[in-house]
Amino acid sequence: MTTVDCASRSVREINEAIRRLVKDGASEILVANPGARHNLAVAVLTDVAITIDGPVGYYAGGMSDGARLTIRGSAGWGVAEGMLSGTVVVEGNAGNGAAASIRGGTVVVRGDAAARAGIAMKGGLLVIGGDTGYMTGFMMQRGRIIVCGNAEPALADSMYEGTIFVGGEIAELGNDTVVSDATPGERAEIRTALSRYGVKGPDAFRKIVSGRKLWNYDKKDLDVWKAAF
Amino acid sequence: MCGIVGFFDKSGGPAPVGASALAMLSTLGCRGPDSAGIALWGQEADGLVVRVKLGEGMDVAARRREIARRASRLGRARVSASGDSLLRLEIAKADPAELAAAIEDVAPDVEVVSMGRRLEIVKQVGAPQSLDRDFGIGKLLGSHALGHTRLSTESRVDLSHSQPFWAHGVPDLAVVHNGHITNYHQLRRRYEQEGARFYTENDSEIIGVYLARKLHAGASLAEALRDSVSELDGSFSYLAATADQFGFARDPFCLKPLIVAETDGAVAVANEEIALAAAVPKGYRAREVGAGAVGLWQRSGTAPGARPRRRGKAA
Repeated sequence: MTTVDCASRSVREINEAIRRLVKDGASEILVANPGARHNLAVAVLTDVAITIDGPVGYYAGGMSDGARLTIRGSAGWGVAEGMLSGTVVVEGNAGNGAAASIRGGTVVVRGDAAARAGIAMKGGLLVIGGDTGYMTGFMMQRGRIIVCGNAEPALADSMYEGTIFVGGEIAELGNDTVVSDATPGERAEIRTALSRYGVKGPDAFRKIVSGRKLWNYDKKDLDVWKAAF
Repeated sequence: MCGIVGFFDKSGGPAPVGASALAMLSTLGCRGPDSAGIALWGQEADGLVVRVKLGEGMDVAARRREIARRASRLGRARVSASGDSLLRLEIAKADPAELAAAIEDVAPDVEVVSMGRRLEIVKQVGAPQSLDRDFGIGKLLGSHALGHTRLSTESRVDLSHSQPFWAHGVPDLAVVHNGHITNYHQLRRRYEQEGARFYTENDSEIIGVYLARKLHAGASLAEALRDSVSELDGSFSYLAATADQFGFARDPFCLKPLIVAETDGAVAVANEEIALAAAVPKGYRAREVGAGAVGLWQRSGTAPGARPRRRGKAA
């Protein structure tokens, strides 16, 4: 395994060093002393295993396509934002907007996720081992979110499409959502997904999908809009 | 943006919280290059410790003398340190409201920026590092400290508009805020009609005034923090502390970041984990606090019910 030491390097220099190693054919890279800095290991477009040995700041692993990133610590806002494929595993907790707008790949948060996890997801899978914050799955468009713990209020608010599974308590559902119990088939799929990443979850899950009432403008809503403006 | 940091030593001090706050704040200089400040709760003074902004007057030396002279009329006073911008005064047994009024009467731009038995605030335009050069804040010991780096968005950049803000009228209560209080004008109008004085055009100042009013009305700091989550509007992560308590509050929409790391020995709070890593040894577990969350810690050896002493008139 080759190592990139973040100490006394700028973020730009760190990311350039990672990219150079990837170009030279490295299959495993250790990023040491990350010091919770922002934008680490972003836009890596190759299948390569990168381990960041500590907490990271904002947007770690963002815009990546194929990389397998492990963060040995917690992550700040927007971890894996805009990812196309690959995996990002956060060993600790994640800040606001984890897996925001991902199009594919898998993001695993072993601890808790904060507000708006999975906001505007356009594909892929987000697994949260612990609890998840306010407005998780807000305006989600495709993909799946599996929450093993509890969900704070406004869960799945205004989601277009996609599916959210919650194993714990749901404090309050967001606008235009439909909730049901996960079917035995779906529970088996969840078990498979969780066991792949060694995440423990409950047996039963609730399933949340879009009510699709906000998809189209309804004339009956005119008064609501008038009042709002 | 703005950067806020807080460090609370669970031993109750004296601990090097000045160095901790400075290290944390230095990592967040990029969140706000306009000004920087630290509030620190140190060793308890016999009377009151006062920090005074000397203002823009031509003859700073004359102002210093005049402030000291007026303070001496109210109690045994000693000027213990003074730069070009801030004067530090210790005074035994003075009424806080009377003392503030006497000092601020020297000139319109003279302002008491902090007052308390344990609190002192230093702040100025510029980067966090200069706080240590100008005030030696990194060497100060205490039980807890707050820090702020400011990115000005809507009011002027000068010492008065910088944070932390002392809650005028309540000794030892100070606040740092990241965000925007959108019902600021509405609340300010109401509070001014009821006699409150505002020193700046900075919306963050309203938080200290709000908390001071709550405490004067008999609420605990915990209750005041909880109420503020629904009664203040807009985006806010803020930290507030008194001589014996250290807390935070976050808006119900989680619009501004707030990360907490608690260990056996300390609590560190900041907008970004990079600041926590600067003050807490490895092995802590950082977490972003939830929607509308508040937190409060009590200084070791003090009682939860302890409130700032009510003396003088409410602000």
